[in-house]
Amino acid sequence: MTDVPASDAPAIDVQAAVDKFNALTGSHIASYLDACVHCGQCAQVCHFHEVTKDPRRTPAVKLKPITKVYNRHKAPFSGLRKAFGLAPELTADDLREWEELIFDSCTMCGRCTVVCPMAIDIASVVAISRQAFAAAGLGPADLMQAAETSRDKGSPLGVTTDVLEDRIEWLEDEHEVEIALDKPEADILLLVSSIELMKYPDSIVAMAKLLNHAGANWTLSTKGYESTNFGFLSGKGDIAKIMITRITEAAEAVGAKTVVVPECGHAFGVLRWAGANILGRPLPYEVTHITEYLAGLKRAGKLAFKPMADAITYHDPCQISRRGGATEDARYLLDGFATGFTEMTPTGNYNWCCGGGGGVQAIGRAANVRHEVFRIKMKQVEETGAEAMVSACSNCRLTMDESKAALGWDKQLMSLVEILADHLLVAEK
Amino acid sequence: MAENSTTGFSKTLLTGVMVILALLVLFGLQPSALAGELPTRQKVPDITDTSRPYGPGDLSDMWRGIRMGEPSSVTRPGKDGDVLIQSEGGQWQARRGALIIKYGSMVLIAIIAVIALYFMLFGRIRIKGGRSGLVIPRFTLIQRVVHWSVALLIVMLSLSGLILLVGRDSLIPVMGREGFSIVASAAMEGHNLFGPLLIPALIAMFVTFVRGNGYRLIDIKWLFKGGGFLGGHASSYKYNFGEKTWFWWAMVLGLVVCASGVAMLFPEITPGRRFLQFANLAHAAAAIGIIAFAIGHIYLGTIGMEGALEGMTKGTVDKNWAKEHHDLWHDEHVQAATTDTAGAEVAAAAHGDVLPEGAGE
Amino acid sequence: MTMQQFIEGPLWTFAATVFLVGVAWRIVAIMMIGKPKDLTVAKSSSMAGAAKSIALHSVPHGGNLSRTIYHVISGYAFHLGLFALLFLAAPHVTFISERIVTVPWPAMPRWAFIIAAEAAFAGLILLYLRRLTDPIMRQLSDWDDHVGTWLTFLAMLTGCLALQESHIGLRLFHMVTVQVWMIYFPFSRLMHAFTFAMARKHTGATYGRRGFTP
Repeated sequence: MTDVPASDAPAIDVQAAVDKFNALTGSHIASYLDACVHCGQCAQVCHFHEVTKDPRRTPAVKLKPITKVYNRHKAPFSGLRKAFGLAPELTADDLREWEELIFDSCTMCGRCTVVCPMAIDIASVVAISRQAFAAAGLGPADLMQAAETSRDKGSPLGVTTDVLEDRIEWLEDEHEVEIALDKPEADILLLVSSIELMKYPDSIVAMAKLLNHAGANWTLSTKGYESTNFGFLSGKGDIAKIMITRITEAAEAVGAKTVVVPECGHAFGVLRWAGANILGRPLPYEVTHITEYLAGLKRAGKLAFKPMADAITYHDPCQISRRGGATEDARYLLDGFATGFTEMTPTGNYNWCCGGGGGVQAIGRAANVRHEVFRIKMKQVEETGAEAMVSACSNCRLTMDESKAALGWDKQLMSLVEILADHLLVAEK
Repeated sequence: MAENSTTGFSKTLLTGVMVILALLVLFGLQPSALAGELPTRQKVPDITDTSRPYGPGDLSDMWRGIRMGEPSSVTRPGKDGDVLIQSEGGQWQARRGALIIKYGSMVLIAIIAVIALYFMLFGRIRIKGGRSGLVIPRFTLIQRVVHWSVALLIVMLSLSGLILLVGRDSLIPVMGREGFSIVASAAMEGHNLFGPLLIPALIAMFVTFVRGNGYRLIDIKWLFKGGGFLGGHASSYKYNFGEKTWFWWAMVLGLVVCASGVAMLFPEITPGRRFLQFANLAHAAAAIGIIAFAIGHIYLGTIGMEGALEGMTKGTVDKNWAKEHHDLWHDEHVQAATTDTAGAEVAAAAHGDVLPEGAGE
Repeated sequence: MTMQQFIEGPLWTFAATVFLVGVAWRIVAIMMIGKPKDLTVAKSSSMAGAAKSIALHSVPHGGNLSRTIYHVISGYAFHLGLFALLFLAAPHVTFISERIVTVPWPAMPRWAFIIAAEAAFAGLILLYLRRLTDPIMRQLSDWDDHVGTWLTFLAMLTGCLALQESHIGLRLFHMVTVQVWMIYFPFSRLMHAFTFAMARKHTGATYGRRGFTP
């Protein structure tokens, strides 16, 4: 099955892709593939189609490789189809042609599902397809590298335990805040995203301040600290499992009942809604996003905030809101605190994606399209009259910061936990 | 140039509205204009009246009343339900046969004969300079889709309509009564169900084609030159006098056909039989008008003229064809001429003959 | 056996059997593929999510109506028109009550039939024109989309041509096109009439347990 490679192209293992597709096609995926009526409405709401108007960047087009395999191998009446010569086998050319669509051109944000008359979850099919493409030896080099670096060094940005310890020590000194690392026992294991560690360390400081103030018994762990899961995003299932195993072992070591995922959308989505399935057993702890956790503390009266009058709006990270189920928690935190808060249109569960989720942020060749996607966000923010856009995902923030710089936009980007920590109401005792 | 076409557009729109208003006024007139004059109705007499010419029980006035369409007392009263004999029905039938079928057939046969004769004498109108190999975008994909939707509907409705109008005379000898009965039944139902689709189709056609179809001074010159058929060159912009007339002809008669068709399809909403009889005759007359013009249009668009059809299929026309038949439009769009036929098709599909920004005068 | 007896007898039985067995087979076969158990902890009810998705996903939501208005209007016109014709047209009511279930239900009046037919034809034609001209739909479409559309169109057309109910030939023509449509149905994308609920069920259940059904 393996094609004879062209001189400069790596070999593409088509059979491995076919096997992976077959292994991962459950009845849910089969229902999706059988239900698609090729209406193309999904293109009308996809940010990649919106900014390129390229008909190939239609979400449903991304179903084609797996549909081809399904029709030949697993679909009802596939034998009949084969007999009539109507079910050709997947080819190396197909895979080569679709690589960009499956990786660069989908953030797995799930907007397409909203307008799909069949409610097909194209995002989850793309996630599966990435595994098949990765098995065939395809995928953007930088994204694949990020996954491998996570496996080898503990984090996609190469944050090893030494780097982690140094950074935390520096942050503690710099900000005069206690950041628990490797406490022998704790109720809560807090994770970090390496994007925060390297680019937005204030976010970690903010989480520490808030948790300390609420009197939570928490810790970071050198055994498992990285929340992002580039194994999942790159389609490398083994690495995805390694990342979750590390977190689970760390949580078990400190006896944590709760794992708090920091401001990172996909990190939350993967651990909360796929973690147990990737690991193959129920997680021995509760997974909660920092916004959910802080909302709980606020609800319990353990956190209170000074009003903030700045004109802000909130960008919903897709994996936390639409696909994470925590849309209301951010609203609850902003309620009564951010007096200058205005919603964008659309917002909440129907927001536009930042353009860099699902690992697309790590794909260098997708940068220009990402910047174009950011224009949608710019327009949305400008329509609210807000001066700053707050988000609860450092990946969204990084994506948007890069685009903001590339396009010379003058509005501010902020982190929800950071503004919360800055406005923490410290009662006089 | 942009300003010109804008004023052209508003003029066109104004003309269209005026025509529609005029038509509505006409259409609202008494149908008697076409259905003929009717005798004055009389009151049904009291049959016990001893002063009647033939004494009590004289029913001649009653029968006269019935004959004249005098309403009677019935158990299920309703629109025209109490009229025993509607004498105007006979007039309608006679007019349908003597006017519409007779002269309608003559008009259609004459047009076909003239076209056939022209074709035999002069043959196909060729592009004089031959094909240039350069093409100019002309019609957008939306315009073409709308055009072919209307075209398909008109062909289907014309065929089924003609079967209903003249089938009795022309098809029964060919296929027999039983065979014609089946065809007529299918034709009637098909005609009734596809007919209303012409309404949105014509609206779409008006919207997509009205621009450039407003009459201009140059159209009179074109008319005097007989559109070039009489020799000499007749100048025109995107559409010449003939094409513009076809557009408005189809729109105005289309309105008549649609309005009368809806009336016949939903008789409940009409004032009654006389209106329906009028609607039926108006429907047939207008339809024959459309078919007559359409025959000429189809001839010129296909075998009659080299290089015309591709404008409506590919969306692009040959530069020499444009120069010959739409010289002023050609001059405006000459810089869009290209040998990249595939690229021009893509450009035409999206933008039609709109020049890229910065082009033109 | 006359042609009429053949079409109304064995051919009808055959088409109905292929349709019913094929549809059931395909649905069961898809379910039999199975899927691994979801080990994550649910936040909300997956059953409620599935029910909501199946029942309510057809209602435009999420503020995208202006972007999908063409499909929404023509799609609704076609499907509502088709269902009205299928279940409420007087000849169908008679046919179904004679052949399938004995309880008759009221048929729609003539004016409603005409409106339903117009809606169905206009919707189908609009959707098909879009399929032929929109680069997005052209990119997605395959031969099955075209065959399915044409068979549906022919079944509708022959049905309307036979509406006067005065010629057996026209009725048989309609029956044959419908039978071809029924035989083609289970092997094609026309199956979306059933698989739509399966797809929505999975999405509704998956995301219902997360707390938001898209």
